[in-house]
Amino acid sequence: MSGVITWLNDPAHWRDRPADSFVGIPSQIVNHLEYSLIALGIALVIALPTGLAIGHSGRATWVVAAANALRSIPGVGLLVLLAVIIAPHFYGRTDLGYLIPTEIVLVLIAIPSILANTYAGVDNVDPAVRDAARGMGMSGGEVLRQVEFPNSLPLIFSGFRSATLQVIATATIASYFPLGGLGRFIYDGYHQQDYDQMVSGGILVALLAVLVDLVLSLVQRLCVSRGVSGRFSKTPTQDPATAALRTKEEVATG
Amino acid sequence: MRKALTLTTAVAAASLLLSACGSDSAKTSSSSGAAQASGTIASKLIFGGPAEMKSRPDGPAGWAKNYGVTFQSFKVTDTGGPVTVTSLKNGQIDAADLFTTDPAIKANNFVVLTDPKSNFGAQNVVPLVNKKKATPGVQQVLDAISAKITTDVLINLRTQVEVNKMDPDKAAQQFLASLSLPTTTPAKGVTLTVGSANFPENVVLADIYADALQGAGATVSKKLNIGSREKYIPGLKDGSIDLIPEYSGVLLQYFDKGASATSPDATYAALQKAVPATLTVTKQASAEDRDAIVVTSATAKKYGLTSIADLAKKA
Amino acid sequence: MRVPATTVLATDANSSPWHFWTYFMDHRSDDLRYLWDHVYLSLLPVVVGLIISLPLGFIARRYRWSYPPIISITGLLYTIPSIALFVIVPPLFGLKSLDPKQVPIALTIYSVALLVRVVADGLASVSEETLLAASAMGFGRMRRLLSVELPIAAPVIAAGLRVATVSNVSLVAVAGTIGMDNLGRLFDEGIQLSTPTPYYPPIVLGIVLCVLLALAFDGIIVLGTRLLTPWRRVAR
Repeated sequence: MSGVITWLNDPAHWRDRPADSFVGIPSQIVNHLEYSLIALGIALVIALPTGLAIGHSGRATWVVAAANALRSIPGVGLLVLLAVIIAPHFYGRTDLGYLIPTEIVLVLIAIPSILANTYAGVDNVDPAVRDAARGMGMSGGEVLRQVEFPNSLPLIFSGFRSATLQVIATATIASYFPLGGLGRFIYDGYHQQDYDQMVSGGILVALLAVLVDLVLSLVQRLCVSRGVSGRFSKTPTQDPATAALRTKEEVATG
Repeated sequence: MRKALTLTTAVAAASLLLSACGSDSAKTSSSSGAAQASGTIASKLIFGGPAEMKSRPDGPAGWAKNYGVTFQSFKVTDTGGPVTVTSLKNGQIDAADLFTTDPAIKANNFVVLTDPKSNFGAQNVVPLVNKKKATPGVQQVLDAISAKITTDVLINLRTQVEVNKMDPDKAAQQFLASLSLPTTTPAKGVTLTVGSANFPENVVLADIYADALQGAGATVSKKLNIGSREKYIPGLKDGSIDLIPEYSGVLLQYFDKGASATSPDATYAALQKAVPATLTVTKQASAEDRDAIVVTSATAKKYGLTSIADLAKKA
Repeated sequence: MRVPATTVLATDANSSPWHFWTYFMDHRSDDLRYLWDHVYLSLLPVVVGLIISLPLGFIARRYRWSYPPIISITGLLYTIPSIALFVIVPPLFGLKSLDPKQVPIALTIYSVALLVRVVADGLASVSEETLLAASAMGFGRMRRLLSVELPIAAPVIAAGLRVATVSNVSLVAVAGTIGMDNLGRLFDEGIQLSTPTPYYPPIVLGIVLCVLLALAFDGIIVLGTRLLTPWRRVAR
C-alpha cells in the first residue's frame, strides 16, 4: 500500500510528459469525464423525452421493458464486438475507431436507468395531483411540464446518477483499447506488472465516481422542489413501494 | 425554471460531444508539437506497441542506447495483436512492435526493420516442462516435433488460424499429419496437462505438442488460453500444468532479470541454467518469433528505411 | 506444409457471428470451464453477501440511529466502479496482485452494499399492525423476525437479489479484462483472432452465454420466491 501512496504522491505522475508519452493524472481525468459526458448527454437527449412521453401518455411501455432487457448484455463484450467491427474503418490520426464503439456502449448503458426512472417518475405522480392540474384548466403539455416533470425529478435524478456511475465505471474499461481515461493506469499497470500504478488507477477511478456522485446529489438538492423531496419534514418518509423501486433502478453494468 | 436548467445541462453535454470530437485531431497534433528536437526520422513517427514494452530493456531505452532512436511518441496498442496491426495499417501509428511470425506483415506489405545490433534477443520456441513428466520418451517426442517447427511453419500455422480462421487444433493436427511421425508410443504411461498463453500462435503450438504426445501414448489434457506468464508459471511450479510452449528470450528474462544473452544458442544455454529446479526445457525449435520494429511499405519508401539504425538519420 | 486451397475457401464462413455454437463445441472443455467459473463467481458473492446483509439490515432497521451511517457507507461502496474495486481489493485484504480471490471478494462487497439497504427497507415494509398482531399472538422477537417479518420482506429482498445477481454476471466479465478466468476471456480470445478480419464466434458466444446466464439466474430467483411465498399467489 505504501507503494501506492508513493505513486500517487509522485509529482511526475501529475503532469504530462510528452518525452515518455506519459499522460498525467489531471489530463486523464479530463479524458475520462469527456468520454462520460458525451455519452450521458446523448443518453439524456434520447431517454428523457422518451420517458416523459411514455409516462405521460401511458403508451408504448414495452420500450421501457426492452431498454431494461439491455441491462443483461455484458458491457465489455459489446465494447469488444463493436470495436472489432468499427475500428478497421477509420484511417489517419484519429481515435474515433475506438471512441465511437466506446460511446455507443456508454450510451446504451446509460439509457435504461434514465428511461426507466423518468417513466416511473411520471407514472408514479399521484393521479389526484394530475386531475387537480387538469381541473385548473392546464393543457396536456402544461401538466407534463409544470406538474408531472417537477414531481418526477427525484426519480429522474436518481436514474441519472446511477447512469452516471455506470458510465464512469464502463469508461474505465475503454482503456482496454488505446483510449485515454483513468483506466489507462489500471491496464498499463496490469501489463507492465506495475501494481502500484494499477491500484492507484483504481483508487483514482473510485474517487472520481464518489466525487461526481456527490456533486450530482448537491445539484439534485438545488433542483428538486422541497415540496417534492419532502425536506420540509424532519423525519424522512419511508415508502416501501418507492424503496423497492429504487433498488430496481440500480443495476450496475460496468 | 427547473426544466430549463435540465435542458441546458443536456445542451451543454451535447455541445461537449461536438467539441470532444473536434478536439480529437487537435490532441494528436499537439503531441507532435512536443516531438524530440533532434529532427531525426524517428522524431516524426508515432510508435505503437504493448504497454509493457515501455518499461522493457529492449523497448525505448534500448533503441535510444543501441541506435540513438527516439520516437515522437509511444502509443499503447496491444501485444502484436489486431489493435497494433489495424493502427499501423490505418495510419494511427507509423511504426509498430509486431512479431516476426505475424502473417499480417506479409499480408499488408509491412517492412520489418533489421536489427543489426541485436536490440531484440533471440526468441526460439522451446517447450517448458515439469521435470517429473519429462521422461526420456516424452523428451524424444517433443524434440522430434521441435526439430520440425521452423519460422516458416509458424507463419503458415498462424495464417491458417488467424487469416483462415481455422480451429487451432485442426491446424495442429493437419501439421502433425504432414510430418508422418512414427507410430511408436514412447510416452505411454505419462499423464500430463498442456497449457498455453492467450495468443493464437501459442495455442496452436500447445495443440501440436499435446496432440503429438497423445499420439505417442501419453494421457493428455489441455488447459489453453491461460493468460500471461505471471499466471501460468505458478501453475507449472505447483503441477497444475506440466508443459507450455515458451520463447527462449522472454523466458530467460523472466527467470533471470539481468540476463544479457542475445544469440539463440547463448540464450538457450543460459536458459537451461536459469530454469527452476523442478522445471526443464527440452530442445529448442529453430522457429523464432521475436519482436521487431515494423513500418508500412509507404513509410519505408518515403524515408528509405531498411534497418532500425536508419530511423536515427536526419529526416 | 502447404495450405490446401479447399480449406481456405471452406473456413471463410467460420468467422460469421452465427458460428458461435460451432466454436463452443470445438472448445468445449475451455468454454465449460469459463462458464463454471462465471457461474460460481456470479452466485457465491450474492449468497455470502446475503448472509452478511441480513444481520446488518436488521440492525439498520432495529436501531434507527444506525440506519443513516450503514446506508451511506454501503451506498458509497456501491458507487465504486467494479474494475477499480477489483484492483483495490488485493492490497486491502493482503492478497497478491491478480489473486483469483479478489473477484469474489470485490463482488461480495458489492452484494452487501446493495442488499443491506434492501433488507432494511424490506423489513420496514412490514406494517406496524402485522407486528403488533404477531406480538399479541405471543411471538417472541426472534420468532416474529423469522416467521413473520422475513417472509413478508422476502419479495423485496428477492428483488434485490435479482438485481445483484444479474449485475454480477456483467461485472464478472469485466474481471476477464485483467486476465481472470470467466466468460470474459472469450472476448479476449475474439480480439486476438480478429486480425486481419473480425472473428466473431468467441465474442458472440461470450455475450450469448452471459445473457443466458443472467436470464437463468433471474428466472430461478423469481421461481424460488414464488415457491417460498405461497400466500402471495393466494392473494392474487
